[in-house]
Amino acid sequence: MSKMVTPDLVTLYLTLVPYLLERGEVSVVEAARDFDVSPAQMRSMVEKLTVIGMPGEDDYFQMPNEMFDINWDLLDEQDVIEITQSVGLERSPRLTAREAAALIGGLRLAASLPGVAGGEVLAGLLAKLSRGAASAPAEVVVVPEPVDAVRTLVSQALRDQVALSFTYRRPDSEPTTRTVDPVKVIVTEGQWYLQGWCHLRRAMRNFLLERVSDPRLTGIPIAHGHEPVPGLFEPGDDDEIAVVRFADELAPLVGDYLSGAETTTAGGITTARLRVSDARTLKRLAARRAGRVEVLEPAGARRAAADWAAEALALYGESS
Amino acid sequence: MAERIQAGERQLNLIVALMATEIGLTKQQILESVSGYRQRNEGRSDALEKMFERDKDDLRDLGVPIETIGDSADPNDLREARYRIPKAEYDLPADISFTPAEVAVLALAGSVWSEGSLSKDATTGLRKIRALGIEVDEPIIGFAPRMTVREPSFAPLRDAIEACRVVAFDYLKPGEETPRRRTVRPLALVDYEGRWHVAAHDVDADGHRMFLLSRIVGDVLPTRKGFDPELRVGAGERAMQSLREVAERNRALLEVTPGSEAALRLARRGTPAVQGIHVPFVDLHIFADELASYGPEVRVVEPPALREAVIERLRSALAVHTEAGGAA
Repeated sequence: MSKMVTPDLVTLYLTLVPYLLERGEVSVVEAARDFDVSPAQMRSMVEKLTVIGMPGEDDYFQMPNEMFDINWDLLDEQDVIEITQSVGLERSPRLTAREAAALIGGLRLAASLPGVAGGEVLAGLLAKLSRGAASAPAEVVVVPEPVDAVRTLVSQALRDQVALSFTYRRPDSEPTTRTVDPVKVIVTEGQWYLQGWCHLRRAMRNFLLERVSDPRLTGIPIAHGHEPVPGLFEPGDDDEIAVVRFADELAPLVGDYLSGAETTTAGGITTARLRVSDARTLKRLAARRAGRVEVLEPAGARRAAADWAAEALALYGESS
Repeated sequence: MAERIQAGERQLNLIVALMATEIGLTKQQILESVSGYRQRNEGRSDALEKMFERDKDDLRDLGVPIETIGDSADPNDLREARYRIPKAEYDLPADISFTPAEVAVLALAGSVWSEGSLSKDATTGLRKIRALGIEVDEPIIGFAPRMTVREPSFAPLRDAIEACRVVAFDYLKPGEETPRRRTVRPLALVDYEGRWHVAAHDVDADGHRMFLLSRIVGDVLPTRKGFDPELRVGAGERAMQSLREVAERNRALLEVTPGSEAALRLARRGTPAVQGIHVPFVDLHIFADELASYGPEVRVVEPPALREAVIERLRSALAVHTEAGGAA
């Protein structure tokens, strides 16, 4: 790990001292893990703690009881930290307003998940975080999304550790019936995904919950919860290559499609080679962005984008 | 041993010294006695004084409450000022405690940020709470909520809210050619359907407004003006309420192909109508983007403005993709 900058180091010490005092004896390894530093760094930090102390005349006449001290034998022989003398910093400091704001925002999101924290727990924690901050934190709120039967049942399956079955419809393909050992619900940018082991595909898969219907609990205990899980937008083995073009500043709107894409930029225009499981579904992206994201290849996908818009316009009495 | 005391250790010595004093220490006393200063305290003291001023600012940035006790006759005269850290303002209040279940919820809350500095803030905050020595329940597994912040305006707006500072930014409304400068009192940051907004009081329009962070162009500029912190009280709750009211007013009537992607994704948000479904929305342009993506799976019956916006997008998409050049 790289050298720590001064503010981070100071913050760390202000928390490390109360942490060590509270626990009495802690192994170097455990403390290193809790503070996300290497064991060597933790050891060196604890050793340096002994140069911290009360004001004095000069180094040789400073009284030993006015400095932090540790149990050196315990550290040298057993790699265990114990503070034997403290001269302040005994209590955890208040949270900074930023720390409180980050936790409050996260808490608002976490509490919107079914069964994680009730209204009373949420209100109690919000009050404690605000009161425990050095100054009033910026309010960061998350408007809770409506929780429907699908989300509730998926959460239930996770808690009960049983498989669930449902109908899954990917856009532009036939619905399939899936039985899935649920592993995790991922909530990102307002979208809920179920990660789990699919009995049909015999592999870990991600399912967008909005495409799930008719869910039911099966009563089959989960058996494949520990296999490696693919990333949310990881390319699959049988992906197609598609080429799209858009103005550079639109890249954020193309979003997750660009993970793993090869892009080239010239004259303010980005051309990206994407990996997608079905290139024809790019017609949806093209329509969403009013053609400002243009599908170039394959030709079938480009045609599909034109047809998609034309068919929709026909609903409004416009023929092409 | 102490000939090369690093900045971090010097600042920690300063904290220990200022917490141990009730009446406070003068700058002179600090430079002469606190380890890290006293070893360099010979000859000209300008550099050392500057170092002390910097340390003081750094520590205040970390939330350490350094109090300045000035001359009561002349508060601007800081030559004889005394400095201290009141324990009551430094310590996490003694009556705040957390149950093991609460710490488990906070651990989940602390894990949601994918952006570096917010994630770091959450982690250091959580560590302070954990240092209280609370037993922790089993971690909450099975849920991985994630919060993404792509907009560079998020951090400066958060800081402006915290400092009750009026800010200005250029804001580009969809359909307008050029961005317009807005001057606002920012009150709360609001995530709605995965998009960040700032709830603010627009100074020129003299009214409450919601601004989408993704439509802020360029930098958020702090001004010299502050505002009354009272304005912030309950702002998050009020913003959520007003978003709900806007959504209720902006109800679209849609006809949707059963079993399609559109039907699946709109059903959860909508209520069945005699012919089609009613779906509330907050921002016409964002909703039109979504509806356009569904192509022929959805037809907008009303309102007319939404219908026009969707048709507009479809026409452009069609035009772009029927031009030659696809084989480029």
